[in-house]
Amino acid sequence: MPVAASAIYFLNLRGDVLINRLYRDDVGGNMVDAFRMHIMQTKELGTCPVRQIGGCSFFYMRISNVYIVIVVSSNANVACAFKFVVEAVSLFKSYFGGAFDEDAIRNNFVLIYELLDEIMDFGYPQNLSPEILKLYITQEGVRSPFSSKPSDKPVPNATLQVTGAVGWRREGLVYKKNEVFLDIVESVNLLMSSKGSVLRCDVTGKVLMKCFLSGMPDLKLGLNDKIGLEKESQLKSRPTKSGKSIELDDVTFHQCVNLTRFNSEKTVSFVPPDGEFELMKYRITEGVTLPFRVLPTIKELGRTRMEVNVKVKSVFGAKMFALGVVIKIPVPKQTAKTNFQVTSGRAKYNASIDCLVWKIRKFPGQTEPTLSAEVELISTIAEKKSWTRPPIQMEFQVPMFTASGLRVRFLKVWEKSGYNTVEWVRYITKAGSYEIRC
Amino acid sequence: MAPPAQSQRSHSPSQPSGKGEVSDLKMQLRQLAGSRAPGTDDSKRDLFKKVISYMTIGIDVSSVFSEMVMCSATSDIVLKKMCYLYVGNYAKYNPDLALLTINFLQRDCKDEDPMIRGLALRSLCSLRVPNLVEYLVGPLGAGLKDGNSYVRMVAAVGVLKLYHISGSTCVDADFPALLKHLMLNDPDAQVVANCLSALQEIWGLEASSSEEAVREREALISKPIIYYLLNRIKEFSEWAQCTVLELVSKYAPPDSNEIFDIMNLLEDRLQHANGAVVLATIKLFLQLTLSMTDVHQQVYERIKAPLLTLVSSGSPEQSYAVLSHLHLLVMRAPMLFASDYKHFYCQYNEPFYVKKLKLEMLTAVANESNTYEIVTELCEYAANVDIPIARESIRAVGKIALQQYDVNAIVDRLLQFLEMEKDYVTAETLVLVKDLLRKYPQWSHDCIAVIGNISSNNVQEPKAKAALIWMLGEYAQDMQDAPYALEGLIEDWEDENSPEVRLHLLTAVMKCFFRRPPETQKALGAALAAGLADMHQDVHDRALFYYRLLQNNVSVANSVVNPPKQAVSVFADTQSSEIKDRIFDEFNSLSVLYQKPSYMFTDKEHQGPFAFSEELGNLSIGSEPADDILPAQRVEANDEDLLLTTIEKEENRAHGNNDSAYNAPAYDSSLSQLAVSQTDGELLSLDQTVPADAPQPSSAIDDLFGLGLSIAPSPAPSPPLKLNSKAVLDPSTFQQKWRQLSVSISQEGSLSPQGVAAMMSPQALLHHMQSHYIHCIASGGQAPNFKFFFFAQKADEPATFLVECIINSSMCKAQIKIKADDQSASQAFSALFQSALSKFGMA
Repeated sequence: MPVAASAIYFLNLRGDVLINRLYRDDVGGNMVDAFRMHIMQTKELGTCPVRQIGGCSFFYMRISNVYIVIVVSSNANVACAFKFVVEAVSLFKSYFGGAFDEDAIRNNFVLIYELLDEIMDFGYPQNLSPEILKLYITQEGVRSPFSSKPSDKPVPNATLQVTGAVGWRREGLVYKKNEVFLDIVESVNLLMSSKGSVLRCDVTGKVLMKCFLSGMPDLKLGLNDKIGLEKESQLKSRPTKSGKSIELDDVTFHQCVNLTRFNSEKTVSFVPPDGEFELMKYRITEGVTLPFRVLPTIKELGRTRMEVNVKVKSVFGAKMFALGVVIKIPVPKQTAKTNFQVTSGRAKYNASIDCLVWKIRKFPGQTEPTLSAEVELISTIAEKKSWTRPPIQMEFQVPMFTASGLRVRFLKVWEKSGYNTVEWVRYITKAGSYEIRC
Repeated sequence: MAPPAQSQRSHSPSQPSGKGEVSDLKMQLRQLAGSRAPGTDDSKRDLFKKVISYMTIGIDVSSVFSEMVMCSATSDIVLKKMCYLYVGNYAKYNPDLALLTINFLQRDCKDEDPMIRGLALRSLCSLRVPNLVEYLVGPLGAGLKDGNSYVRMVAAVGVLKLYHISGSTCVDADFPALLKHLMLNDPDAQVVANCLSALQEIWGLEASSSEEAVREREALISKPIIYYLLNRIKEFSEWAQCTVLELVSKYAPPDSNEIFDIMNLLEDRLQHANGAVVLATIKLFLQLTLSMTDVHQQVYERIKAPLLTLVSSGSPEQSYAVLSHLHLLVMRAPMLFASDYKHFYCQYNEPFYVKKLKLEMLTAVANESNTYEIVTELCEYAANVDIPIARESIRAVGKIALQQYDVNAIVDRLLQFLEMEKDYVTAETLVLVKDLLRKYPQWSHDCIAVIGNISSNNVQEPKAKAALIWMLGEYAQDMQDAPYALEGLIEDWEDENSPEVRLHLLTAVMKCFFRRPPETQKALGAALAAGLADMHQDVHDRALFYYRLLQNNVSVANSVVNPPKQAVSVFADTQSSEIKDRIFDEFNSLSVLYQKPSYMFTDKEHQGPFAFSEELGNLSIGSEPADDILPAQRVEANDEDLLLTTIEKEENRAHGNNDSAYNAPAYDSSLSQLAVSQTDGELLSLDQTVPADAPQPSSAIDDLFGLGLSIAPSPAPSPPLKLNSKAVLDPSTFQQKWRQLSVSISQEGSLSPQGVAAMMSPQALLHHMQSHYIHCIASGGQAPNFKFFFFAQKADEPATFLVECIINSSMCKAQIKIKADDQSASQAFSALFQSALSKFGMA
């Protein structure tokens, strides 16, 4: 039984209730107190997001400065509950326009109650699609979509669409200029050993879309992934063009994508929702091009001195550049003084995170700036434990580059009125957890 | 209530807890109630908002109920919603006032706007007032037949709400049949889904009392309904899909063709963006193919990629939920995941709960080909700043060593840990090296060379110290310094707090003595003297036992202390396969996260008002079955359990001596029997004064030597009572039993003065009792009055004993109430319990 919630609470960091919505009677009213007492005020906070107190289970999640707590008394479906929270938050965000935090909740609490009423009934999740909900829950609220007054005609019968076959898009949309924006966003996760060998490396990618299209368009997306290409060459009975083809480990799609067609023809075809959405997610482990190589050498010279040399090599094309590159090089807690030299960017010692933080705003391809630093340590008498080195961490964004090599081959829009569309495609690669041991 | 002063009427700054605020609101609402002036709605809205915000932060605003109802005559839908919310919250506690709302809700249920009809119906069903159910039946019936799907959708859940208020009204009105009809015919998928959820719950609950309900519940998983739902699967929302998939996973297709049909139909669900749908599909696939071994394996291969994707995307909480499921699968079929071990490498910033699962998975998937990489990775974590993770990693290395082939390299790694010179690393490593030597005695030479260099001063944790001492004794002939190291430890006897360590010390010095008599003689004398003077019963007894043994016959003593040993081949599993299967059946639910089947933690009784639950609520939950301990500690406890039992089994079987030097076997009477049979028959003739006391083998042994020294003579129970060392009972069963059983023995016991002193920390008592296989389920109170609930189980049958024990530490008294499944044994148990209690603090 995928009951997701008997009650749902929104608390701020102090434990004040911002929103409380009881869906079922099977949990008591003092659940917030139990949560505060047994989880928030103890060290348990953050040790495990699912906890049992008394006969009830608490699932909690922190989102900016708010805790969202779900209470159930039965053997609930946890994955479903967490997903529900995530979806609900993104729904709220789309209503508030951006931030989801304590202030936003306080300012919109009536709206949140309204939404909580619609998206879950007696603990069962109902419709969470912002497209549809926005038709009949508006902040003005005075107008009901069903009122028979003739002046209200722009909003068609919403409930038919609440669960209709194309639940994510309403009919009758009109845009003067039909545009599609497609972003491929990849984040690279890397774990490299101190000897420079790759222990683990994968790319998780997303295809994000923004559609401003009239009517009920049918879209078709072609990527240079291996299976899709092979299938196409099979269908057209001609050999695949030479060039890189990518093997996707796993793909998931937005509900608008026709999965049957994907399985038979290996093409991604869909009727998109209006506005912004995440079309697909994928994961790749083979053939990843790492945008950066980091070569650290850290020498401990006696008890009070350390020498740190870090060379960072950009591997992507010389015409491209990375933005917002940050390299965090850990140093021991008892660091007293640091001296650096960098060939590019700026570095400083940040005592609160025990790191040398080296920032390079614009990092061109095929270059290798270096940092060399001397670190002086306070000598401690009783300290015989050696320093365990945390990994070097890196942040970056490389526009127009994909670590996996994935490319959009085509994006076709077809609508019965036959209008012309403008398509925009962007690529960007970001650092996920990019760790280099040293 | 007196009206507030006029001056307060202006919007005074918020002072939320003030009663004045509430009565102020009441006044303003009353003024607005009748007004038809333009702009009324706006000011109403502000007031309503205030009321709702007070309600949210917990201020009781139920006193404005009638005013709210009066103001609800409005066409503003937002106002209506706020009013409904308010009414839903307070109606339950104001049933009389709730009657006021029925009128306008019923009217709204007939509104021409389906939105209003739906809202009103939802609120009407959410009133939760039992004596208003008669007003629900009409609108619900109409709602189920409404022309608008929104209203039908609300009505379907409304029926379920009605069922929870009054099951009989719901069934008598024949709503379930109507729901079923709707489920099978409604064009709207969400209506169908809500009908399905409602029916599942209603029939599920009704099934215990009605046979028809059982049939209906079965009918839900019959082929026509399953196929009907599957054919519409794509119409359902992602959440409803989860419901349907869950239902289908209960369906058992009659032949394999059907299984393949269903899997082919649903394979694309594995690519759904919603992780919950993916997990539900995975569960379905796993359940369908349970009986088809090769296909089942293929399913594992197929679901691997989607699971790994889910783990690496989303928030840490989501990935934890998925990771727990992956963990379950990895534990079931480690070989299938052996090549994916790199996915289980931990990232530096991951939270503890994720890392811990990953470490366990790394341990499980280790095999010949990847051991080297995995162990190398684990060694990285051992140097981690996060101490719990470092400990877990070292244990993981040890576990791999115990299950693997390439022990050579691992032993080297473990020995390198000792060179890191961190106390906790050294401590964990020592325990592991000890276990390793028990399994692979052939490595003793390499290990001992390094262990010999460790100064016992650097080892503080009792477990680690005990391990070190065990090795000193066991390998005394290979370690140059062994006698002197032991001698040093014996000098500090007084400062050694842990009886476990002292017991080990006694045994080790004995072993050492037989191997290197001249060097150890002095230490042995000192140890026996210290042991005899020891306040801890077990330590004292063991010292005495050794002393007599030596006096009697030195060669017998040697064969008792230094028997030939067999290497431990397999360490026992903590969880029975039956429990594991239960958890697997409950895939995609909390069971997997808690790693125990649902009956162990869901507890329907806790809603019912009865005294005990309150009592239990006030008491802090202690000891094993409750979940209050940090996971790490729990694992530790399990590990210890595991070792103790294996040692005992192993050595009881082989020789039956108490060489194992653990303080646990106190009540294992099989041990005492063996001891009896092994020590000479003529010794028995010395036994004249006191009859052999089976449940207390330690004193029984004393008696065998004719000492008559037994400290706590207890009424001799005829059949020896053995307790189960690993008794488990969840709090709900405990409560149930406590209510059902009558008190079989109620008496007063006493506590030793030392025991009272030790009551400074009640936790110590829990540990003490646990070492006697009496487990605590709840405890509480403050000095001088403490209250404990204990339980114990017979070793050979599932008969349980429940104890309520109220201790008054200023009087040295304990009130004991015992309830037992098996009344005849309660006398014996009482004696056992009391003797255990009287020994508390003798350390």
